[in-house]
Amino acid sequence: MDAPPPIRLPQAQQRSWIISLSLLGVGVLLWHLATVRPAFDPQGLTADQLQKMEFNGDIVRTDDGRYISNPEKVQGIPGPWAVVKKAVAEFAEPFHKKGANDHGIGHLIRYTVTRFAVGFLSASVVAVLIGVVIGLSRTLYRALNPFIQVLKPISPLAWMPLLLYTVQHPTWTAILVVFMASLWPTVANTAFGVSTIRKDYLQVASLLQLSWFQRLVRVVLPAAAPTIVAGLRISFGSALVAVVPAEMLLGELGVGYLTWIEWNNLHIAGILFAILVVGIVGVIMDAGFNRLARLVTYTE
Amino acid sequence: MAFLSVERVSKYFPILAGATARGREAVFCVFKDVELRLAKGEFVTLVGHSGCGKSTLLNIIAGFEQASTGGVILDGKEVTDPSLDRMVVFQSFALMPWLSAFDNVRLAVRAAHPRWDKARVREETHRYLDMMGLQGAESKKPALLSGGMRQRVGLARAFAVQPKVLLLDEPFAQIDALTRGVIQEELVRMWTATQHTVFMVTHDVDEAILLSDRIALMTNGPEARLTECVEVNLPRPRSRETMIDTVEYIRLRNYILHFLMRGSRAPTAHDPQPAARQGPWAQATPLSATPSASVLDQAENTVNTSRTV
Amino acid sequence: MAQDHVASAAAPRTPEERLDQCVESAVMQAIFGGNEFRRRRFLQLVGASTAATLIRSVFPLDTAKAIAQEKVKEIEKKDLTVAFIPITCATPIIMAEPLGFYSKHGLNATVRRASGWAMIRDWAINREVDATHMLSPMPLSISLGIGSPATPYFMPAVENVNGQAITLHIKHKGVQSAKDMKGFRFCVPFDYSMHNYLLRYYLAEGGLHPDKDVQIRVVPPPEMVANLKAGNVDGYLAPDPFNQRAVYENAGFIFMLSKEIWDGHPCCAFAISQEFAKTYPNTFLALFKAIVDATHFASKAENRKDIAQAIASKNYLNQPVTVLEQVLTGRYADGLGNIKEVADRINFDPFPWHSMAVWILTQMKRWKHIESELDYKQVAEQIYLAAECGKLSRELGYPAPEQTYTKHTIMGRVFDPDKAGEYARSFAISNL
Repeated sequence: MDAPPPIRLPQAQQRSWIISLSLLGVGVLLWHLATVRPAFDPQGLTADQLQKMEFNGDIVRTDDGRYISNPEKVQGIPGPWAVVKKAVAEFAEPFHKKGANDHGIGHLIRYTVTRFAVGFLSASVVAVLIGVVIGLSRTLYRALNPFIQVLKPISPLAWMPLLLYTVQHPTWTAILVVFMASLWPTVANTAFGVSTIRKDYLQVASLLQLSWFQRLVRVVLPAAAPTIVAGLRISFGSALVAVVPAEMLLGELGVGYLTWIEWNNLHIAGILFAILVVGIVGVIMDAGFNRLARLVTYTE
Repeated sequence: MAFLSVERVSKYFPILAGATARGREAVFCVFKDVELRLAKGEFVTLVGHSGCGKSTLLNIIAGFEQASTGGVILDGKEVTDPSLDRMVVFQSFALMPWLSAFDNVRLAVRAAHPRWDKARVREETHRYLDMMGLQGAESKKPALLSGGMRQRVGLARAFAVQPKVLLLDEPFAQIDALTRGVIQEELVRMWTATQHTVFMVTHDVDEAILLSDRIALMTNGPEARLTECVEVNLPRPRSRETMIDTVEYIRLRNYILHFLMRGSRAPTAHDPQPAARQGPWAQATPLSATPSASVLDQAENTVNTSRTV
Repeated sequence: MAQDHVASAAAPRTPEERLDQCVESAVMQAIFGGNEFRRRRFLQLVGASTAATLIRSVFPLDTAKAIAQEKVKEIEKKDLTVAFIPITCATPIIMAEPLGFYSKHGLNATVRRASGWAMIRDWAINREVDATHMLSPMPLSISLGIGSPATPYFMPAVENVNGQAITLHIKHKGVQSAKDMKGFRFCVPFDYSMHNYLLRYYLAEGGLHPDKDVQIRVVPPPEMVANLKAGNVDGYLAPDPFNQRAVYENAGFIFMLSKEIWDGHPCCAFAISQEFAKTYPNTFLALFKAIVDATHFASKAENRKDIAQAIASKNYLNQPVTVLEQVLTGRYADGLGNIKEVADRINFDPFPWHSMAVWILTQMKRWKHIESELDYKQVAEQIYLAAECGKLSRELGYPAPEQTYTKHTIMGRVFDPDKAGEYARSFAISNL
């Protein structure tokens, strides 16, 4: 039997990749050109002036006694090369633990993702339960709706001081902030999805004399699943946005914490690196959602 | 005694506030005092214009809605809630779109026989799918099936439950005319084999004549009434090809069409009076208000009617 | 932590030898700031025994070993967390980890970095940490229940004296005195801080009311430089290294060192809850000794450069070494193009004078941070452990005063702790 023909990406998809990569390349090149600095020339400066510049950190002495521009100190935004160097340095030892306050980027990502996962998953379970209950009962929906409308727009970070005061544990407070952020979009979407199930599915369920549990698991949840997953996606975005400032405010180690520390010390390259890490983690988790969405979608 | 009997069922709906403000009654009557008796194994169809409440009547029998007055009795017991003994085939097919055809039927089989083991359930599901000619389509989701195939699955599901009464709610209305014919014949085949009691609602007169033993006629709403039942005296097995040329068929068809075209209003004082009231099974004098087709003149005495008001 | 050691070349056989090695390597690590390359190079250059001698001259290695051996049997809770804010005021608390002062006294303490004083307060109250770095008014405010639930605290030792400065935005180069600062937006690290009280004192002496003529906002110290650079504030009275850092970033200049307002003022402190001290008395004692020891070590000018190296890393202050060196050695660029030499720009003296506490309380009364009447001396003596600190210092071989009250001079005016009430009411500009 002949081997199957090699698979090639269709033309349109190839074109998209080429455009993406070109945009990236051009963007980085422009960034580099905008931030490149000429090499330091010590000619014409007295020893006193040089010492002042050294105190100020504008120049440093290399091992062989020359003066060069301090690579650590940048006026304005650092160039792409600085960010790359920072990334390389961080990923060279991603799992270091040089003391209680300096953990490697691998550990930091792990802390942030764990915190996020615990908060988000528990909120999703609770939200789906609440959403199903109020979606199935018009009375309950009307009764609980005012409370939901009041609580929904409250920023999750506004809950932080109250949570810290009652829970008195920064680790759990951070998780609870993520919890509060992930709750409402899922509740709203689940309630909507459940209350707008086609009547005939429910009629079939009652004809087949399914118990309430079977009805929930075999009819209600699968029918509402695409809407629920859409709600989860929104919650997920909201939770990711909340986890970073929560870490900053509570001093919990993580990627958000890293962003804050780099900002405090005006290491812009470090901030850009931390932001990129958050972005990439977000992209990976979102891809996970895509797969989940594909599993539960159906066409009528 | 009738197997399924609808005893003086009426349905009223409360109207919105606007109507009461204008001084009219606060309730809207869909139909009033409907009486219908089905014998076991009988195939009865209800025909009427859209909006006369025939689907509502079916919903009441199924248990999805409650009658305002009167009730429904099945096999000696009153029924008010949906259950497996009155299974419905829906106009919109009502298949779970996330389940394959096989899983849709299996869900029903499992519900009907909770104590059966997996293998037996699977076997039974296959049996009914094969009976409806669905081999090869079993693992497909409804979105990938044509309308005709979907309703076959719906029928397989309904038959698989082995209900006491099968309720068909305009089952072929959303299927194209060509496929409709094929599925109608399959339905007859299935029904002949299984001998279920069937109550069907439709607005397609040909379909009603092809499939049923008796046809109940409903007037227009509001306050619709089930004025008469017409017996279909065509011999079985019926086929569309042979049926459409017979005199009986033409007579019946035109009678029903006139009924519908007349506005299907209830008989008034000016209409010819019916014969003295007798039991629902009794024969009555032939209806006098008939159109003057020459064919009908010949077949005058062969139409049986019975009044059920 | 690498197990390379200075004195003995053979592998340790007994727990005692292991402990010795611990102390040695802690010292070595501290001196080279964790820089493996430089440390090995040093050992290659001078040889192990010379290195040992050199270090012994700086650090009482043998005493350290002896004391370490003695204490390890009595301590109830060896694994401790001590919170700190990344400022040079906390130098003794911070450097005690890499330089081995905690382990010398038998403790396994980790220092945990907080990003602001509110976080420190919350950690302290929620018992997230066992002891903390605090501003010297904070143990008073927390014990009295001002700005937080009342939690009884001790302040066994002061961390640093001096070490703050008024830094102004580079555009205010022409400012000569307080009068020129009308309408400025200032920031301070915390309401109950020496920074706030000294700034207010200075402005009041210059005729400005701190609540009416200027704005004083609370900003966590690490954010101050960023705020100055962004132009959100006109200046601040902040702990170092954020004054020097502002100069480093070409965002501001050092207008006045805090020692010019009150030479020898307390700044930050080491604090511990009374509950902890009573539940774990031996641990508390060991911790107290470690801190006092570290503070005295830091007070010596010859150690400053090495300390700067030790605490500059990302795990501690996360600052460029040159900034810390300028602060700790007192030889610095002031942002106006000059290089200045001020030896006690920052100094470290653990003794928590009761009179300092009384002064702070009078200022808290002056600005209505405390509303009710109070017995100044009683409160001071309950919280500031001056007598105990003196005793411990002398035990460890350092000099310490016998009295706990003395007179202090602030901007030329003498403060007598015996006349605290009058003093609080004697100011022209106040909130009373």
